[in-house]
Amino acid sequence: MSKVTIDRVSKTYEGNVEAVREVSFSCEDGQFLAILGPSGSGKSSMLRMIAGLEEITGGEILFDGKVVNRLTPSQRNIALAFESYALYPLMTIYENIAFPLRARGLKRSEVEEKVAFIAEELDLVDILKKKPSSLSGGHQQRVSLARALVREPNVTLLDEPISHMDQRVRAEMRARIRRLHDGLHLTTIYVTHDQAEAVSLCDRLAVLNFGELQQIGTVHEIWNQPANRFVATFVGEPQMNFLDGKIESPREVSMAAGERKIVLPYAGSVDRKYVGSEITIGLRPQQIILSMKKENEGAIASTVELIEFQGENAILTVKLSHIESIEVKVVIPGEKVGQIGESVWLKFSPDIIHLFDKQSSILHPET
Amino acid sequence: MAEVRLENVTKKYGRKTAVREVSFECKEEEFFSIIGPAGAGKTTILKILAGIEKVTSGTIYFNDRPVNELPPHERDVAMAFESYNLYPHFSVYDNIAFPLRAPKRTESLSPQDERQRVEEIAEFLGITSLLDRRPVQLSGGEKQRVSLARAMVRKPQVYLLDEPIAHLDARLKFSTQTALKKLSRQLGTTIIYVTHDYREALGLSDRVAVLRKGVIEQIGTPEEVYHTPSTDFVARFIGDPPVNLTDGQIVTKDNKTFLVAGDDFTIQLEKGLAESAKGRAWQEGDKRVVRCGIRSSHITVSRDKISDNSFQLPVYAIARSPQGPLCTFELNDSFLQANIDQGIYYDMSEKVWLDLDQDHLLFFEKTMDISKK
Repeated sequence: MSKVTIDRVSKTYEGNVEAVREVSFSCEDGQFLAILGPSGSGKSSMLRMIAGLEEITGGEILFDGKVVNRLTPSQRNIALAFESYALYPLMTIYENIAFPLRARGLKRSEVEEKVAFIAEELDLVDILKKKPSSLSGGHQQRVSLARALVREPNVTLLDEPISHMDQRVRAEMRARIRRLHDGLHLTTIYVTHDQAEAVSLCDRLAVLNFGELQQIGTVHEIWNQPANRFVATFVGEPQMNFLDGKIESPREVSMAAGERKIVLPYAGSVDRKYVGSEITIGLRPQQIILSMKKENEGAIASTVELIEFQGENAILTVKLSHIESIEVKVVIPGEKVGQIGESVWLKFSPDIIHLFDKQSSILHPET
Repeated sequence: MAEVRLENVTKKYGRKTAVREVSFECKEEEFFSIIGPAGAGKTTILKILAGIEKVTSGTIYFNDRPVNELPPHERDVAMAFESYNLYPHFSVYDNIAFPLRAPKRTESLSPQDERQRVEEIAEFLGITSLLDRRPVQLSGGEKQRVSLARAMVRKPQVYLLDEPIAHLDARLKFSTQTALKKLSRQLGTTIIYVTHDYREALGLSDRVAVLRKGVIEQIGTPEEVYHTPSTDFVARFIGDPPVNLTDGQIVTKDNKTFLVAGDDFTIQLEKGLAESAKGRAWQEGDKRVVRCGIRSSHITVSRDKISDNSFQLPVYAIARSPQGPLCTFELNDSFLQANIDQGIYYDMSEKVWLDLDQDHLLFFEKTMDISKK
């Protein structure tokens, strides 16, 4: 398994279409990394360049420190599993999985051993003699994955491999993929537009937009210290609340309507030159604390406007009593959903407040 | 505002039965959802209500009046379908305003009132900036919101909405769902809503009907269908991570009742639960077997034994879920998933203790295959 380094990689298509611009990041040996972005963000071009399916316009891709720009996909020893399965229809499942091993001239006994192992891991033992056409979509996808992984690749690339499965199969596939990654010590790069999928599976996320890297970091870092408003918006469902605000002092921000004002202490420290500036305050619905009584100093009196029960949790739309034009969404556990019109208290802890300037960049460097 | 009632409605296409003996009552001003997987017959029911399809047998009532023979335009319903059906040569504004201008409408609006109504609904659904565009200039998600706006611009007896937000990306879905819920509360009109997405149904509805192969499995409030599903199918269809299901043998010994599933899983059932388990059990050879279910949030995982009912399993894998890290185990032929605390990590194959919160154990008869495959 290899460390993958992307060093100032660019991709320009005919007609000067820049799909990827000077992107740099790395995926350590054994790491599970997601390349995450909306459609048109350049994530598929990125994947195809790593796989060797597409030429690199500028920059270098390195596996374990060696430049692979000019190597073919098979020389790079990459495992690729795409959303479309592309199994050989006339071969049995066994033959499909064994194909890359036989192509390499492995001994029969070795082939048998490796196929048996991967078939066991992916629960395919019972269907090895069948043809692809007789299998369900979920099965076909697992066969495709087995075929990709059987030859112990340097890097495993997964392109939206489970996005069109139903939710039950998805939950199972996540567990299977994670087990394969950990058990086989793979280096895995997972390309997806689905932030929930990326957050559930991967250790680190590389977030792309318009061909540029927005941020690379652990799931925790991306969630708690988004680099800019795009990352803050793209990761997390329901999305972050954005409220108009103003810097009162280096450690205080405020929200106001007419004469009425709410001042919030802020855990970071803003440069003095910004005091008085109009900014946007970002608050994750999952991090706001809601209580029925005033348990916290600085809790804000509010009223529940709307309740969307979601099973495991519920999304509440809550209006601040002091400034009724301000509404925020709050996610609470599904067991204690209250009533519409109920009075509640909201606590915006100083460390959950994100500040964005009018250019949508994050305002403070660190707490 | 109509009350809508279906009585033993069956719809057959040739020899195929799409909807079988379906009965439900949707009260005035109620937001009523029909959910189920593809092919369950959801859209067929909406088409029957709209008058586009005729029932094979059974009766539909709007405010106690049978409407089986009433053509669509006399039923006073507004519809939004998954396929948007926008008029390509009209602007977005004219598309949305169209139902207000239709000749059969008795109430005619002044141009000012029309504009106000269209702008109001566009604002609600976040499409104000699109009003001057043509449908070809719109993305799928935008077309879908225009289609929804067109359906909701006037006040009919009943709204019939078929997957109206299915094609929106995840973030837009959340915000449009909230907008739709606000709108429905403001309008106070009866809404019948079809979706395959349980989150939409739970979030929006007063009550939900779960449809499977043309038959209703359960009707209840969102809380009821989530917390007390009537069948294994309903339990599996609602919730993510999906509910854990496993079949266990009921063993009675020394006046105590145990549930045994494979070599690793034995728990003693409290008295009330034992009765409920026996009530759902079936015979397999000389064994009494019952299907048991529990949600991932109602299982505690620990390195230490928690109670006399704890049992040990090796960790299969750890991933995450919106509720935090999710630990997967193998139990019999299926997976078992449990939420674990943030920051705790177990090694793959490490044996840990599991403890089920018996207050949240569910028992079912067997109506589907649950083995992982």
